[in-house]
Amino acid sequence: MSGSSTILEDDSLLSKLDRYYFKFESLLNLIGGLVIFIIVLLAVANILGRKLLGIPVSGYIDWTEQSMVFFAFCGIAYCQRLGGHIRMDILVSKLRRRALWSFELVSTIIMLTITVLLIMGSYDHFLRAWTNGDSSLDIDLPIWPSKLVVPVMLTVLAIRFCLNIWGYLRAIKEGSDTAIAVPLIEDARTQAENEAKTVSGASVDNEEIK
Amino acid sequence: MFASLYENMMNVSPIDMGLWISGFMLVTVLIGVRVAFAAAIAGFLGLLWFFTAKLGFEKGFWVAVKMAGTVPHSKVSTSALSLIPVFILIGFLAYHAGLTRALFEAAKRWVAWLPGGMALATVFSTAGFAAVSGASVATSAVFARIAIPEMLKIGYDKRFAAGVVAASGTLASLIPPSAILVIYAIIVEQDVGALLMAGFLPGAVSALIYAALVIGLAMHNPKLGPPVGGFTWTERFNVLPGTFPIFFVIGIIIFSVYGGWGTPTEAGALGAFVIFCIAVYKGMKWSTFRDALMEASKLTVMIFSIIWGVLLYVRFLGFADLPHAFADWIANLDQAPMMTLIFILLGYAVLGMFMDAIGMLLLTLPVVFPAIIALNGGPDVTAADSAFGVSAVGCAIWFGIIVVKMAEFCLITPPIGLNCFVVAGVRPELSVQDVFRGVTPFFFADMITIAVLIAFPSIVLWLPGVIMGIV
Repeated sequence: MSGSSTILEDDSLLSKLDRYYFKFESLLNLIGGLVIFIIVLLAVANILGRKLLGIPVSGYIDWTEQSMVFFAFCGIAYCQRLGGHIRMDILVSKLRRRALWSFELVSTIIMLTITVLLIMGSYDHFLRAWTNGDSSLDIDLPIWPSKLVVPVMLTVLAIRFCLNIWGYLRAIKEGSDTAIAVPLIEDARTQAENEAKTVSGASVDNEEIK
Repeated sequence: MFASLYENMMNVSPIDMGLWISGFMLVTVLIGVRVAFAAAIAGFLGLLWFFTAKLGFEKGFWVAVKMAGTVPHSKVSTSALSLIPVFILIGFLAYHAGLTRALFEAAKRWVAWLPGGMALATVFSTAGFAAVSGASVATSAVFARIAIPEMLKIGYDKRFAAGVVAASGTLASLIPPSAILVIYAIIVEQDVGALLMAGFLPGAVSALIYAALVIGLAMHNPKLGPPVGGFTWTERFNVLPGTFPIFFVIGIIIFSVYGGWGTPTEAGALGAFVIFCIAVYKGMKWSTFRDALMEASKLTVMIFSIIWGVLLYVRFLGFADLPHAFADWIANLDQAPMMTLIFILLGYAVLGMFMDAIGMLLLTLPVVFPAIIALNGGPDVTAADSAFGVSAVGCAIWFGIIVVKMAEFCLITPPIGLNCFVVAGVRPELSVQDVFRGVTPFFFADMITIAVLIAFPSIVLWLPGVIMGIV
């Protein structure tokens, strides 16, 4: 599941940058969430319009397909900041201090590498759509805006990876037990508590158990 | 030395490339690279290797970059996938609208007089909640907060109470709408609607087996869960209106998907919209709504990242022809196909103890699924000529349900059965050991369910057969 890890903060430049950047990532993630809601409204309008009035939303499939990249990519850096992308940490969680941070550093460099390669490839993909003026099948929506979302959001993610790498390098240098501005590995219990928090909103806490 | 290594690498057969790259992916996953990126870099390196061998490094590199660059956008912009975020959103909204609690209250008033009645109410209300939510860990977390305190208050055994909640949470993965079944359908290129339909009966059977187990345990040892009486018929009927939205949403989804009224996404969207209106009517604040959106978006990104990452790897596997070779090997093994199937499922049971269900299925299915189809007799086989007595399409659906049930089974097995940790994490009075002990009877119940599903594929295939004519 997509959990949320603990991220430590202090007064350093790294931690400040991390927090400011997180605000930006949160905004992007919220946009992703709003697009999901818009898809919901669009689908409702489409099914009701078609069944009740006989007029479906024009280009419904096109709109849906073109908007999907928003919720698939807008939150990608936000998810990484919170350690939400799933992984297998059963081996690395046994490591401590420098050994741990070194492994984390290597993983992060691997992830940064593929991200940079994909930025190049997906930008090229966008460029072709832009120069050829590609458009969607049904109502001729231009495709390039949605193709541009991919390299842009991956760039936001690449910057997040750079911040992570900075955090791990600092932790290796200091040889400390904990690291600043990176998602920390947690035991299953803490992970589960975080998971539980995500579904225990204000509404349930108000409803006292009688 | 490098020159000769390069030379050797260029002469490797595509199938061997596939094996090396798959091994590389396994290592990256083991050292803790996030699954989506591990699959993506394996896929990219595979393409790079394959095309460098054909075209030389410089050309090969650019072909690989361009080919990899098209995958994230093109694989994500598939309208069938729009189902996933919509169903995720339903789960969060239903919770915030207080529907979950209403459901539990109703189940309590109607069945609590039976032995183990409150536990029974938990099983039925999680099954009901599962019908609007697609995620099992979330379901367990929600019911650990709602149901366990009530059970403890009336003197239930705490391990029993915790076990019921942890096990019942797994029902969400089979009872539609299930996020994991949608992902399975996309990866193996089967009809999403058919899989969702196929999950219904096995989900209901699982719930009934749990219910029978609860009653049996409580009758055998009344201390586990004493019955609770005292609800009048007026009280029973009064509680029903609060649950109407859930039944309304279930009704909409059934009518739309099974009756051909609209696509699964449209049905889900209608359900989400109804629940949203109820939540607003009940005074949902912007901050609560924003939290639901943020969570839904984050979970969606996580799932979509794995989808495009794994599909990039699958793209390379297509060139390497590895799935084909593996399928040939499996199909020609000198043992009964059923034996091979059971070994594969046992492999999943072991893997599932250490890995998240979605990640595990996505990483293995591209290679394992063609092998299962070959084992059954190939992609065009009829039910009469097949090894398992099901047609190729039927086999795809049947295997999907079994493997998902298997993956969920792992959510309640030690050492990292996540549902158990969630329940223990939410309730400070319970240790993880308590939950694992409480869940043990359900563990055996699940083994029986899986055996029944393997022995009688018709339980899985009956509903899609009746409605969609799949044989």
